[in-house]
Amino acid sequence: MKTARFFDSAWRHAYAWLLIAFSIFPIYVVIVSSFDPTGGLASSSLLPQRFSWVNYEALFNNPAVPYLTWIGNSIFIASVNAVISVFIGAFAAFAFSRLRFRGRKAGLQALLLIQVFPAFLALAAIYVMMENISTVFPGFGLGSHGGLILIYLGGSMGVNAWLLKGFIDTVPMELDEAAKIDGATPSQIFWKIFFPLTSPVLVVTALLSFIGTFNEFVLASLFLQDVNSRTVAVGLQAFVGAQFGANWGPFAAGSLIATVPLVALFLSLQKYIIGGLVAGSVKG
Amino acid sequence: MNQLRSGLLGQIIKIVLLALFNAIFGYMAYIAFLADQPIIGGVLSAIVIVADIVYLHPKFIASKFLLPGLVLMSVFVIVPIAYTILMSGYNYKTGNELTKQDALVQVLGNGLSQDASGATFDMRLGKKDGKLVALLTEQTSKQVFLGENSAITELSADAITTDQNGIAVATNGFTALSDDEASASEEQIMGLKFADGQGKFIAPQATDTAALMYQPLTLSDDQKTLSNSETGVVYKDNGNGNFVSEADGTVLYPGWREFNPAQNYIGLLTDPVIRGPFLNVFVWTVTFAFITVFIMFFAGLALALALDKKIRGRNFYRAILILPYAIPSFMSILIWNGMFNREFGAVNALLGFQVDWYNDPFLAKVVILVVNLWLGFPYFYLISTGALQALPSDVQEAAQIDGANGRQIFRLIKLPLLFQILAPLLIASFAFNFNNFNLIYLLTGGGPTNVLAGETAGATDILITYAYKTAFGSAEQNLGLASAISVIMFLIVGALSMWSLRRSKVLEEI
Repeated sequence: MKTARFFDSAWRHAYAWLLIAFSIFPIYVVIVSSFDPTGGLASSSLLPQRFSWVNYEALFNNPAVPYLTWIGNSIFIASVNAVISVFIGAFAAFAFSRLRFRGRKAGLQALLLIQVFPAFLALAAIYVMMENISTVFPGFGLGSHGGLILIYLGGSMGVNAWLLKGFIDTVPMELDEAAKIDGATPSQIFWKIFFPLTSPVLVVTALLSFIGTFNEFVLASLFLQDVNSRTVAVGLQAFVGAQFGANWGPFAAGSLIATVPLVALFLSLQKYIIGGLVAGSVKG
Repeated sequence: MNQLRSGLLGQIIKIVLLALFNAIFGYMAYIAFLADQPIIGGVLSAIVIVADIVYLHPKFIASKFLLPGLVLMSVFVIVPIAYTILMSGYNYKTGNELTKQDALVQVLGNGLSQDASGATFDMRLGKKDGKLVALLTEQTSKQVFLGENSAITELSADAITTDQNGIAVATNGFTALSDDEASASEEQIMGLKFADGQGKFIAPQATDTAALMYQPLTLSDDQKTLSNSETGVVYKDNGNGNFVSEADGTVLYPGWREFNPAQNYIGLLTDPVIRGPFLNVFVWTVTFAFITVFIMFFAGLALALALDKKIRGRNFYRAILILPYAIPSFMSILIWNGMFNREFGAVNALLGFQVDWYNDPFLAKVVILVVNLWLGFPYFYLISTGALQALPSDVQEAAQIDGANGRQIFRLIKLPLLFQILAPLLIASFAFNFNNFNLIYLLTGGGPTNVLAGETAGATDILITYAYKTAFGSAEQNLGLASAISVIMFLIVGALSMWSLRRSKVLEEI
């Protein structure tokens, strides 16, 4: 009986440790290589040999690799998109949750269906479309941050409206009914009651959207050809893809710098992200 | 009173914002129309009109909230999807990018030949009555013509001023063009044509010379045939975007994009050059999505089961095991890419191998599955944990009372229930991996590709990366075919999602 219990807990620990080793391996390699002065990936030993900041210096002092500009671009694009898309989502969620209008149900169903198609599936069409727009409005066409943000925003209503509707549904009806009796218009109800009440949720949604946009690669790489307009994802890919051997050290340094804040953000939002996943999983 | 004042303030803000919006969008529409982009101008104007109606009319309350999102979604999601479907019906690729009219202009331009007489002219450009005109001096005979309104008139010697080389430089009402003006209107200059009244015409060769040219090609009225009066060759519209000689199959370039709704799809199914790679890619896409979801799900479920009991260090395990999910995926994929490098990759260093992972189709597929397992098992662990906690305990207790042991309860009760709960998420994950562009593109780039054998698709290419290569590849860019592949992906993803949404009953709950 005792040995059975031992084996029962032994396999659990063994399996967990196996996956931990697997999970940690690349993280360990990146940390070690970012401080390894030889720049290349450890060819002889996986153990750290020497410690230096050479890779970090190389990253920040290389005019061909405007790393800080890339970070700035990523933060700019992801922030603008996060803020606007949350407002779009909140407006739509409020309308679908609280207002009664013709086509409400069909609209919600259509939204759910449309949002399953990622924008990049239509990449050839998007490319031709944005090429045309750039002949008139270069700031919103191909190669511009404005155009990229517009494409991202196009998909924001489908995703955020559904997410936020769930939260708005939980606000008791009595609140807006009382406001309505006092003569408040729907827009006053939204701004004075729902906006303050749901603002923590809006912040979380905005941060999730920020992480999502920061991660996006396909459209950004299609749009942003100029070195200085690139996002971190596109820039680092072009940088390390050009020469894995020579650029590995600075790349490791760059990926660590960009990853640490995002991982911190993710872990601080863990509760919401996992809550959302589980809510989805137990729905059926 | 307070209520009234805030209502008034809201009204003022609304009017000011709407006015600004009208001004900006109206101006942008105006610019678009000026730049000869009527569709963009029309869309912008329509947005302004709809916004004004919705925000000024007291009705349409829901639309006031929905409009911004609806407009963005229509323009940047629905229109591209519709345009993809439309484009998939066109023969739209390198060499066939223009409209038929633009292509004809170029084909006719390319067909121009210099007249057998070899007459050439010195040309001096100027303005007369505000129009671009040219003084043309024949280089051998020194005859002088004024090219004006697409025709020429001969000028007598006393009507002109010549320079020391005998080239006419001035005449009545003629003001010479400065160099700056000339270079600014170069396109207009090169488009000049002055008919000589005998079926030939003088056309500029540079900004200061012109030659007597003629057009041997004549286009039939129905624009279906082009005949060359010089060689007697007849070129026929082949119905697929090109004029082709009937005699020897010579193709005139450039071609145009021709609307042939089914052609790209028929090509995917029947043309061996396209069908071969497409079928390979299709089979691998489905296999990959299926296998990778299977592996990730079982690794994650096993972990959820392992940590389902309160064992020591569980919280520590959890914190570490969620890390791969927290790291931006493009970064992890690039890191893994380096780690599988043959010469200095950490994987070879750890295992003591010298394996060239990316050059072997099988190994490249293994790399993809391993990396995706790393990226995805935490997600499956999380959803499995959630589902395990949601399992009804009464059924298990009933089974226990009936004498079932732990293994039986798991296999016969828990597992089927888990599958039922998680099926929609497994389908969603299948659809996600079906389109997992980042993983393939950043890890193997779709390779290995045997370019020497003429392969257009690599061994690990999935449909979306193959469509990307087809549309933006280096050799030939075939936007029409890429769109057809996209449409096929729409259908598959749409069908999968419909099925899983139906199952999860979300659509009925609203």
